[in-house]
Amino acid sequence: MSNLEDDLRIALRREEPAADFTERVLARLNQPFAEPTWRERLAVLMRPPRLQWAALAVIVSITIPAATVRYRNEVQYRAEGERAKAQLLFAVRVAGSKLHRAQRKVLETGRTGTRL
Amino acid sequence: MASSVGGLAVRVQEEPQRAVQVELPAFADIVREHQGMVFSLAWHYLHDRALAEEISQDVFLELYRHLASIQSPAHLVFWLRKVASRKCIDQTRRRAFWPKFGLDDIPEPPAKTRPGDPMLSRALAKLVASLPEKARMLVILRYQEDLDPSDIARVLDMPVGTVKSQLQRSLEVLRDKLARTVGEIAL
Repeated sequence: MSNLEDDLRIALRREEPAADFTERVLARLNQPFAEPTWRERLAVLMRPPRLQWAALAVIVSITIPAATVRYRNEVQYRAEGERAKAQLLFAVRVAGSKLHRAQRKVLETGRTGTRL
Repeated sequence: MASSVGGLAVRVQEEPQRAVQVELPAFADIVREHQGMVFSLAWHYLHDRALAEEISQDVFLELYRHLASIQSPAHLVFWLRKVASRKCIDQTRRRAFWPKFGLDDIPEPPAKTRPGDPMLSRALAKLVASLPEKARMLVILRYQEDLDPSDIARVLDMPVGTVKSQLQRSLEVLRDKLARTVGEIAL
């Protein structure tokens, strides 16, 4: 074992707190237990550990692009839906007019046949 | 509900406001038995006597609220070391963000008679206090509490390999800095 380790053991020996330490702990125990206020809770949330900020940054950097992509997909899906709806209506209209024409021809042919 | 903590029979009662309530004389015995360990961890880590006492008090108040979860005297000691370490590291981070004063501004407490070279001990304690957060706590747990790397790893939730390598690195840094400090003193 090196001298440094021995010296560290001596330098870091246990020390006792002030003589009335226990009494002060017990006195604090007797104080009513106060729920933390919203400001204290916010202060705890805003504590500086870099890990919390890093986690927040990671969450934001993932959430915002994901939400943007999702929004764009949604807009595109709706536009495609609208286009399909318009095409379908057009097709129905065309089919309707053709049916109407065919019906007219059938009726005209019927009338001509009756006259003959 | 009754439990045995630190060799003391402690009566624990369920209460709506506080999770448990223990007979105060029994709790006072627990505080007296372990205050030196908890205070020294905080004192060697923070180098601020008033702050170390405040942190130590907070540790015991938290213990009082969680006493029902303590399973044995060994678990009690482990719990105290873990909570004290966590509170000290949190405190340093808060101070780093909102610094009130530098370590050099803090007056040294009155020197106590101790074996060995008091100047060397003081210089070493100051050098330990200048180590990074985790490395500092590693060194304190290793040389104040005489814990082996696997116990330190459990207290600080770190891999044993990391504990060993950081301890090795910290010793190198301390040796290097100490050599320079002693050189300055000699000059």
